[in-house]
Formats: sequence, C-alpha cells, structure tokens
Amino acid sequence: MTDDQTTMSQLAVQQRPVILEVSGLSKSFGANPVLRDISLKIHKAETVCLLGPSGSGKSTLLRCMNWLEQPDGGTVFLAGQPLGARPGGGLRMRDKELAAMRTRIGMVFQHFALWPHMSVLQNVMEAPVHVLKQTKDEARATAVSLLQRVGLAGKMDSFPARLSGGQKQRVAIARALAMKPEVILFDEPTSSLDPELVGEVLAVMQDLVREGMTMVVVTHEMGFARDVASRVVFMDGGHIVESGPPDQFFEAPQTERARQFLMRYAARNN
Amino acid sequence: MTSYDYYSIAYGALATVSLSLISIVLGVPLGLGLALVRWSRLPVFNQLTIAYVSIVRTCPTVTLALLIFYALPVVGISMEPVSAGILTLTLSTAAFNTEIWRNALVNFPQDQYDAALSFGMNRNLRFRRIILPHISRTSLPALVSEMTLQVKSTPAVAIIGIVEITRAAIRVGARTYEPLPPFIFALVLYSLIVLAFVKTQRAVERRFAPPGDH
Ligand SMILES: Nc1ncnc2c1ncn2[C@@H]1O[C@H](COP(=O)(O)OP(=O)(O)O)[C@@H](O)[C@H]1O
Ligand SMILES: [Mg+2]
Repeated sequence: MTDDQTTMSQLAVQQRPVILEVSGLSKSFGANPVLRDISLKIHKAETVCLLGPSGSGKSTLLRCMNWLEQPDGGTVFLAGQPLGARPGGGLRMRDKELAAMRTRIGMVFQHFALWPHMSVLQNVMEAPVHVLKQTKDEARATAVSLLQRVGLAGKMDSFPARLSGGQKQRVAIARALAMKPEVILFDEPTSSLDPELVGEVLAVMQDLVREGMTMVVVTHEMGFARDVASRVVFMDGGHIVESGPPDQFFEAPQTERARQFLMRYAARNN
Repeated sequence: MTSYDYYSIAYGALATVSLSLISIVLGVPLGLGLALVRWSRLPVFNQLTIAYVSIVRTCPTVTLALLIFYALPVVGISMEPVSAGILTLTLSTAAFNTEIWRNALVNFPQDQYDAALSFGMNRNLRFRRIILPHISRTSLPALVSEMTLQVKSTPAVAIIGIVEITRAAIRVGARTYEPLPPFIFALVLYSLIVLAFVKTQRAVERRFAPPGDH
C-alpha cells in the first residue's frame, strides 16, 4: 500500500460516524492508577485492535466502555450519547438507562462466559427474548441463522460443557450478534484456546470485519491485528502510547516502548 | 412389641417427616433470602443476619426449642408446641442454609454475571434467569445434606412435648421394658426418611444437570 492510499483509507474512516468514543478516561483500583486520561474514537465499521503488555489496562479500558467498570473520570459516548454518567458527568445514570445502552454494545469474553445451564440455542436467544422482548419465534429464527453462520447449526441443543473452546467462543460471538449491536468488544477472545482452535474463531471475526461490523479487539494475535485491523492502538502503563494503521505500527513503530513490545513478541514466537 | 407399638412409632415418623418437610420448605427460601441480604450487604439487615446465623449455629437445637417455647411467652408471644417446634426447626435449618446459599453466591462465576450485565439484563432477570438456576445446582448437595441433618435434629423438639419417632420409641421401650426393638425400628424409619431425601436429590440432579456437566 502506498502512502497515498493509506491516507485515503484513513480519510474515509475519519469521515464515518463515531460509534464509540472515550474521552479523558481515568480509572484507578485503590492507589493503583490503571487508565490515565485515555481518549479514543471508534468509527463505524472500524476494527480497532488494542495491543499492549499484560497489565497495561486493556481489559479495564474495554470494561469501562460498557461500564462494567465505572471510570473515575472522563466520559464514554455511544453514538454521541453519554453512557453511564449523566450528561456533564458525575451522577450515575439510572440502571435501566444504562442497561438499555448496554444492549447496543456486544461483549465477548476471554473465558466465553456462556451460561452453562442453558443450551447453545438458549444462550443465544436469552437476551433477545428477555431483554429486547422479541417473540420466541423471532429470536429462534435469528439464533438459528447466526449459529449456522458461525458453523454450529449442529450443536444448537448441546450444552456449553460439551463444546470445545473454539466452539464456545463462536457461540459467544453468535450470542453477541443476536442483539444486533452497534459495536462489539472482544477481550482476548482466543487467549484461552488451544492453539489449533484459534483459527476457527479468528475466521469468524474476520467475516464480521468484512461485513462491516464495528469492533474493538484486545488481542495478542499479531497476525490478526496486522491483517484485519483498521487501526492499532498500543497501550502501556495505562496510557495510549501509539495509535495508527497496522502497517505503520508493525513496520515502523514510532515509540521505543512499541519497538520493545514487538521485539519481545517476536522473540517469544521464534 | 405389639403391632400397636409399631403403629405408635410409625405415627411418630409422621411427625418427624412433616416437621422436617415444613421446616425445610420454609427454611430453604428463608436461607436464600438471608443469603441475598448478606450478599448485597444491606446495612443493618446484614449485621442482624450475621448475628442470627452465628447464634443459631452455636445454640443446640434443644436449647433453641426451649428458648422459643419458654422465653417467647415472657415477651407476650405464646405458642403451641407444634408451632414452636416448627419455628425452632425452621430457624435452625435456615441459618445453615444461609451459609450454603451465600457460599454459592460468592462463588458465582464473575464473568457469567458480567455477561448478563453486558446484555442489559436487569437485577430481576440476572437473578431469576442466570444466578438462581446456577446456585440451585451448586447448592443442592449441601442443602440435601443439611436436610438429612435436619431430620436427625427433630428429636430436639420432643422436649417441648412433640411426639416424634424417638420420643415414641422411648415411650414404647419404657412400657415394654424392652428398649432395643423400638429403637431398632426407629433407626429403620430414620434410614428410610434420609434415603428418600438422597434419592430425591439424585433424581433432581439428573433432571436438571446439563448433559456433559459431569
Ligand atoms: N478488579 C480489579 N481490582 C484491582 N485491580 C485490578 C482489577 N482489574 C484490574 N486490575 C489491575 O489493573 C491493571 C490493569 O489490568 P488489566 O486492565 O486487566 O490489564 P490488561 O488487560 O492489559 O492485562 C493490573 O495491574 C491489574 O492488576
Ligand atoms: Mg486483560
């Protein structure tokens, strides 16, 4: 890709509407500052990969985006609307309002977090039926087609304990998609998988990217980030240290910390 | 032992079973409610629950029965032996059930809870659809084990005049001057009752366990 093309595609992204924005976000656990003044915009149909060493605050940032963690300062906006805090900050939103906004943000967890007492189909139908108040028939039809899409039509009546890690994570992705979210947050979706199962999950995610889903992905899969990210955000010590297109980040990282991170990663994988 | 003697001990078993069942039916949900009070750290109620659980857990059931039967009238609440017996056994089992439910609640997997939150489930849905089915399963063995202890602690209410298996057996033994046969019969009845609980547990577990879970 030439520099010209890079600029063009960046420009195109910048012109799309912002789906998710965090502005001046900070968060401490006790005396331990974990996020320091983080600002980030996620545009429609973007795939932003969050990279960084363990403990750098990636999960906390992701969890602040849907207020599973309550930030100490700063604001999260979903399609321009403040989430969690009331406009102007401070006061917490009513639980009901927060829940309504959360339905618009999907989340996929490192350890799948499927509900073990429900079948695969029930896992996918649960929130559409009970939260979005879809009819069972409607929710079932959506769930069945999503499960087909992630290659698990044959496992609909299985329970999570019977599935492999890769299958569980694909169910979790279908479960998130069933809500028709505006953005999906992935927290290391392949980190707890056996190496031979990583590919099937990344393939599903790659499909989502192609279909124009907006995604924020915390990952250690550098290949995935390089191939499909529209932007890489590198975090260290609670800061965004570097942010840019993947080609630039992987070929010519701008900061010493990013260079070291990539070197350590390359050393580990050789 | 005459057939009337057998009959009178079996009749005592009726008291044992109904006292056990009633106190279990009341004590299991009461324990759950109190566990939720502990879990949500409701101010004041939390402290009261802690006090209640630790008092009941250290107080022998016999003493608790006497306390309820003789001490409550002092503050103007008097009870029939049967009501006092039910209250004693309910308060007793509920205290242990509180700890069982609470243990299941604090061990509930955080990420399943986070998933429920992230899908916009409200408090009621989270509890009813996600948490309760899970903790019912994880608590069941401990709850049933407490139920069997509960059956075995029913003789404690004999002291306030309720004739259950053991009391009936003592009476028969005292009258016939042959204490052994009535106690052996009592033992058989207790075993049958406890066996019924354990069988029921197995059936419930089979019915509700997701396949592949074990
Ligand atoms: N619930 C929590 N309580 C206390 N400290 C936490 C909690 N969650 C995360 N932390 C701390 O915050 C820091 C960042 O954690 P995290 O966001 O999980 O990093 P990452 O996902 O990049 O590995 C770590 O030092 C971690 O120990
Ligand atoms: Mg993490």
